Amino acid sequence: MSSNRIMTVSRAISEAIAQEMRADPTVFVMGEDIGKYGGIFGATGGLLAEFGEERVRDTPISETGFIGAGVGAAMSGMRPIVELMFVDFFGVCMDAIYNLAAKNIYFSGGHYKVPMVIMTATGGGYSDAGQHSQTLHATFAHLPGLKVVAPSNAYDAKGLMISAIRDDSPVVFMFHKGLQGLAWMASPEGAATELPEDAYAIPFGEAKVVRSGKDVTIVTLSMMVHHALDAARALEKEGIDAEVIDLRTLVPLDRKTVLKSVAKTGRLVVVDEDYKSFGLTAEILASVVEDDPAHLKAAPRRLAVPDVPIPYSRPMEQFVLPNAETIAAAVRETLGRAREAA
Amino acid sequence: MATEITLAPDLWDATANPEGIVANWFFQEGASVSKGATVAEIMVEKTTFDIVAPADGRLHIAVAKDGVVTPGAVIGTIDGG
Repeated sequence: MSSNRIMTVSRAISEAIAQEMRADPTVFVMGEDIGKYGGIFGATGGLLAEFGEERVRDTPISETGFIGAGVGAAMSGMRPIVELMFVDFFGVCMDAIYNLAAKNIYFSGGHYKVPMVIMTATGGGYSDAGQHSQTLHATFAHLPGLKVVAPSNAYDAKGLMISAIRDDSPVVFMFHKGLQGLAWMASPEGAATELPEDAYAIPFGEAKVVRSGKDVTIVTLSMMVHHALDAARALEKEGIDAEVIDLRTLVPLDRKTVLKSVAKTGRLVVVDEDYKSFGLTAEILASVVEDDPAHLKAAPRRLAVPDVPIPYSRPMEQFVLPNAETIAAAVRETLGRAREAA
Repeated sequence: MATEITLAPDLWDATANPEGIVANWFFQEGASVSKGATVAEIMVEKTTFDIVAPADGRLHIAVAKDGVVTPGAVIGTIDGG
């Protein structure tokens, strides 16, 4: 079939899972509403019809139970993909994630593998309140033993999901709801992409320079890549040439690509949809300064959710989330052109 | 020869939900498509239906993304080679 199709992120993910399920009988899926409904954000669409209830298993609403079962299955030779419907629900199953999945390779002296994918929906912007709108990137990236992936588009989502399934360590695959291309939630133009038919793997730990520039480096991932690109297009009209880096994975983190870019531009803005304190933005800044404080010609800026739960109120939620305007203003500040932001 | 991409008259119960929308086109205007390829997605309430190409050829989109449709509507055509 043709490869000129423009596919949504949700279809890219379900296609990746389907192709790996065809190739490897140990791959199976578990989660809430992942069967007939196809996942509430469409990530498992069509799988039940092709693979049946044995391999596409709808679970009761008990993350504690089925994420724990996923760890056991992974240690017993299977390659489970378990969907945690919203990342915000991690509280009830975190013991299985960080004490079992993340540590059992180490605790067994490498005798056991835990080839498990924890697939989960992140992100806000659509008035779903504080228990359904977080990204929690750093909560998972902080814990040794977990790999953490957060794609910004369909092409990357397919390749990173295939790598996640084939990986012998637990991988937290974080897809942003607003990028899925669902009929009932608008997604940015660049989220759906041309999607090759064949299975392909994108290695973890390789950031992508999605826009080259010489004046300033914007480092981000997931939904914020699209806002950063919008900001870069607006800044271009003011004669500011911004480079935009899509990290694609938090763990492993491609510091090398960031350092190379900042060494060139001398200016850095880091954007994350997670909370600001103790998070990705600080990690990137620290990595740059640790390498060489002389990389920076100006004070860096970071944009993230101020340290409050995501508000339900639309104006308040939109206020706390970074966007193209706030990113552009931060870039101008690094160039000493703050007044133009007003 | 052009083949119409027609929504089945019974695709959904129009007495309950008279209208749906074109949620996604999976190919651009003018793209070459194969018979059976999923070309579009229709949403009615929160239910979606995949629409497949009825023939090989070049896709022409008649109802753009987010356009309103009813059962039996022609959403595009395929110009055969």
